[in-house]
Amino acid sequence: MTADTVLASTPGGMPAAPVKARRLSTPVILLLVAAGLLAFSAVRVITGADDITSSGAVRAALASAVPIGLAGLGGLWSERAGVVNIGLEGMMILGTWGGAWGALTFGAWGGIIAGAVAGALGGLLHAVATVTFNVDHIVSGVAITILAFGLARFLSSLTFANMAGGGDTQSPNVPDLPRISLPGVSALDGVESKHWFLVSDMAGILRGLLTDVSVLTLIAIALVPLTFYLLWRTSFGLRLRSCGENPQAAETLGVNVYRYKYYGVVVSGALAGLGGAFLSMVASSIYREGQTAGRGYIGLATMIFGNWRPGGLAAGAVLFGYTDALQLRRGSESVHALLLLIAVILLAVGVWQIVRGTRIAGLVSIALAAPVAVWYFTTDQIPVEFVQAVPYVTTLVVLALASQRLRPPAADGQPYRRGGG
Amino acid sequence: MAGAAIVALGMTACGDNGGGATPTATKKTVKVGLAYDIGGRGDKSFNDAAAAGLEKAKTDLNIEANELEAGATETEQDKYNRLKLLCQGGFNPVIAVGFVYAGVDPANGPVAKAAADCPNTKFAIIDSVVDKPNVASLVFAEEQGSYLVGAAAALKSTTGRIGFVGGCKVDLIAKFEAGYIAGAKAAKPDIKVDVNYLSTPADRCSGFNDPAKGKTAAEGLYDAGADVVYQAAGGSGVGVFQAAKAKGKKAIGVDSDQYNTVDPALKDVIITSMLKRVDTAVFDFVKSMGEDKFAAGVQVFDLKKEGVGYSTTGGFVDDIKTQLDDYKAKIIAGTITVPTKP
Repeated sequence: MTADTVLASTPGGMPAAPVKARRLSTPVILLLVAAGLLAFSAVRVITGADDITSSGAVRAALASAVPIGLAGLGGLWSERAGVVNIGLEGMMILGTWGGAWGALTFGAWGGIIAGAVAGALGGLLHAVATVTFNVDHIVSGVAITILAFGLARFLSSLTFANMAGGGDTQSPNVPDLPRISLPGVSALDGVESKHWFLVSDMAGILRGLLTDVSVLTLIAIALVPLTFYLLWRTSFGLRLRSCGENPQAAETLGVNVYRYKYYGVVVSGALAGLGGAFLSMVASSIYREGQTAGRGYIGLATMIFGNWRPGGLAAGAVLFGYTDALQLRRGSESVHALLLLIAVILLAVGVWQIVRGTRIAGLVSIALAAPVAVWYFTTDQIPVEFVQAVPYVTTLVVLALASQRLRPPAADGQPYRRGGG
Repeated sequence: MAGAAIVALGMTACGDNGGGATPTATKKTVKVGLAYDIGGRGDKSFNDAAAAGLEKAKTDLNIEANELEAGATETEQDKYNRLKLLCQGGFNPVIAVGFVYAGVDPANGPVAKAAADCPNTKFAIIDSVVDKPNVASLVFAEEQGSYLVGAAAALKSTTGRIGFVGGCKVDLIAKFEAGYIAGAKAAKPDIKVDVNYLSTPADRCSGFNDPAKGKTAAEGLYDAGADVVYQAAGGSGVGVFQAAKAKGKKAIGVDSDQYNTVDPALKDVIITSMLKRVDTAVFDFVKSMGEDKFAAGVQVFDLKKEGVGYSTTGGFVDDIKTQLDDYKAKIIAGTITVPTKP
């Protein structure tokens, strides 16, 4: 008997088959990507908002997605082991400090390690509190975030305040990590600036993804499939996930639940710390108090968005990063263009739902598309307050649409005592 | 028990100071309490300017000072507590650095409440107006200084397009934006000005503390064709300079002469800075307290009083200095009125 049976019989008794049936096959995904590209390109040509597929926007989207995605991955590791980690924000703060300090003391690579270690220590504290002492997960997480904020200030006053150009609340300039460009892609610049339909869009996206990419971005991207492999394709991952689904059953099968929960939460902290290090080393080359600005919580939201799976989580982070980058770069112009795209998508989803037989949902989608389209055609700009809210609204809308299909680990956030089952 | 004792002590101290107005022959020691804005000492900008004014007062005048820092996620109640802690600790005057201390509703914000609780203590608030008999509101004509750097940006631009990055969509930062655009249009009527804001009060103005966002916003402006970007974004401003460096473009600093305070590698992108002499305001206020010349109400530090201005360090604007000084003279003379709303 293996731990497999633990997962097969989830307490909710949810059959596994329908979930599998909803999985998209590779050709369908490719088709969707192509359709999306076409839609973006068409919207760009119609609206003249050239920034929505420019290399700069894609690069900025990636940079803004990475810290969120790393925090989300952190949340995934922790919650898959059954521990809710709302302290991600705090572990990220520790990571921003650790990354800057490590980079200034040991060089750029030292920063990556120090950031991850600082975050992991925050994770360890969370694990001690929640796993060993059974403290409520939310209480411990909130406490760690408050503690991390004060600790980062204290540590900065000990370190950065004594450095030239630093202070209690900010570090001197942090050495940057190497950046990599795929040879030859830079030549696409000429194609991108022509603003041709589809061709220039693809050139812009390729340039954004393949030139001037930080090493830490590559590491972060690689961590997504690596997490999937470790958690879903190894016996280590199976045991870790079993602790999040049904720890009592895992215990009867000889899994040391405490130890696996520790693994999950410490790795979670390390990933959040890495996200923090990315912020202070790559995204801004400086540590600045409060620079995480709630990204840890947004990471948690992308994890839920992604249905507690690495792929969905990465998609959520990219979606959030993209809208965030667009509104920061060109504000209302790009977001105004996106209104048209949203209207088209809502219309397409509506038609698809009606074809599939869910008529009410389809009609609601189409009814929503109309006012969005009217909004696009009757205005030239969007108020900045709304523009700022776009990433959050996007996430909310997607969460609202997808929430019916979300399934958290069954024992997520529940206390566990050995032999208590 | 302990809390009650401290409060009692504080009240006594407050009373002492109230009675301390009796004339003495020697210069009296002024106990200054100063509460920083988010970012605090070491922000290389706004707060450091206030700190510099206090440091000058420490060396030139007979004062004792207590400085308290603010946290990035605190509430108005925390700010009120900090001010009350200072006034009850016997500090008089108490200086609140930053518009956040006025609160969302200045009539009932942290400063107004603390000033009502300690009627014998004199307060000063920088960057906002609080109407209380024991509060001096020290405000700046940022739009006038911004007008000058706007003109400088337009004159230095070769693409005919310039940019502005604001830290938070509030009235205070709108003054910077309005002056900047007016100055740019005055120097070059056909100039295009793109404006990006990093945050709103809804997310607690996180855009003053997020260099990554400053960098992304500035990159967007440069990619759109701007070649000079002015930032009024506090701690996020360094991100704007980094973007300028990476793109080989120019930027304009804010509050203090950022050419001198920024990392040496970024110096050459800063063509000028809009100076806001918070240090002068703090020093003058402390000095006036020492001379028993407290004046409640609004004091505007403008171009005329040298409360705002532009910096020339680095020599990037030397060739257009006569034009800028011409605008400056006209603003002082009143022939140019600078708008405060875009």
